Amino acid sequence: MIAFLKILLTMAAGICLGLFITAYAMSGASPFDSVRVGPWIVSAHAGSMEADPYTRAIIERSGEIPLANGEGIQMIAWTDDAGRRLDSRCVYSVGPHVPAARYWTLSLIDKRGFPVGNLAERYGFRSSEILRSGGGRFVITVAAEVQPGNWLPIGAPGPFGLALRLYDSPLGATAGEIERSAAPRITRTGCG
Amino acid sequence: MRPGSGGSYLGVYLAAAVLLAALVHLVVVLTVPLVASDDAFQRLAARGNVNATVLLSRADPNQETFPYGDPAVAMSFCRFDLASGPIRVRAPAGRSFASISFHTRRGLAFYSLTDKASTHGVIDAVIGTPEQVQALAEGDNEEDPSRDLRVTAPARKGYVLLRAFSELPSLYPRAEAEAERLACTPEPMPK
Repeated sequence: MIAFLKILLTMAAGICLGLFITAYAMSGASPFDSVRVGPWIVSAHAGSMEADPYTRAIIERSGEIPLANGEGIQMIAWTDDAGRRLDSRCVYSVGPHVPAARYWTLSLIDKRGFPVGNLAERYGFRSSEILRSGGGRFVITVAAEVQPGNWLPIGAPGPFGLALRLYDSPLGATAGEIERSAAPRITRTGCG
Repeated sequence: MRPGSGGSYLGVYLAAAVLLAALVHLVVVLTVPLVASDDAFQRLAARGNVNATVLLSRADPNQETFPYGDPAVAMSFCRFDLASGPIRVRAPAGRSFASISFHTRRGLAFYSLTDKASTHGVIDAVIGTPEQVQALAEGDNEEDPSRDLRVTAPARKGYVLLRAFSELPSLYPRAEAEAERLACTPEPMPK
């Protein structure tokens, strides 16, 4: 009887652990397909037939329609340059460059990948509408409170992410093609 | 672990639990794509018939349909089923960036085209199964072969997605109008 209970407990523990690991592995980008460029994460093969089983499972479960290789590259950041989680109580400046692309957009997303509502109804910036300083440099200020210049509002308290999409980029998403110095920096300038 | 020493078999149980955990993990990861009932294809299927062009609503905090959508990009789609023959896909190149991507039923993209590959302002391609693409090629006039771009689909069912970029917020309705002009029509096979 005790042996039977032990076996049952072992099986229950194994199944729970397996499900827990699975949920964890599928909570972000595929652990086997993530290219890191500073704080930015790129799923290198999400938009191709070579996607690994983790990427496939994550895409199928979320219902995401990934950008195909050749259309563009999506880069997601959940932390600042120092590795701290993006926090709605803080102010961040993002810039001054992005990797080569015909157009790009920078948007704020919640942890499931949807825009976050805000009174300004500003969910992101396009490369074609942004205010720039000399040399094509730009700064986007991500903050809950109104900011001068390119203000990307944080509409809800809690953690959030930033999505940078490069359309028609000559770069590939695979490791090493996007240089760290070309990706925008995410600098925390203060916390309220 | 000292079996037979009168102590517990804790090590054996732990190893068994870890092995089972690994097995459960593998099985779940590999079966999710087969059983996912709410993937992009299912969500699209609920919105339009095969070959019908459907405009997707803009990425919006209140319209939570497709995660990781770009609020600057208008999207439309049509589903295809190559069982009854190849499909011709046409879309306007638009005034800024536009692209078409071809996805299998499982969401994997097998081909994409941008407006740079357009002729006379139209992005144009024919998708078919390997047999259909071969039959189309064999039906070509040798003196004047077709200039169609023929794309071999790795799966019979899937969807075509058009993305149209809006350069300014005020141009979004125009991008939507462009996206609505995506056309997926059955392509006749050679006699």
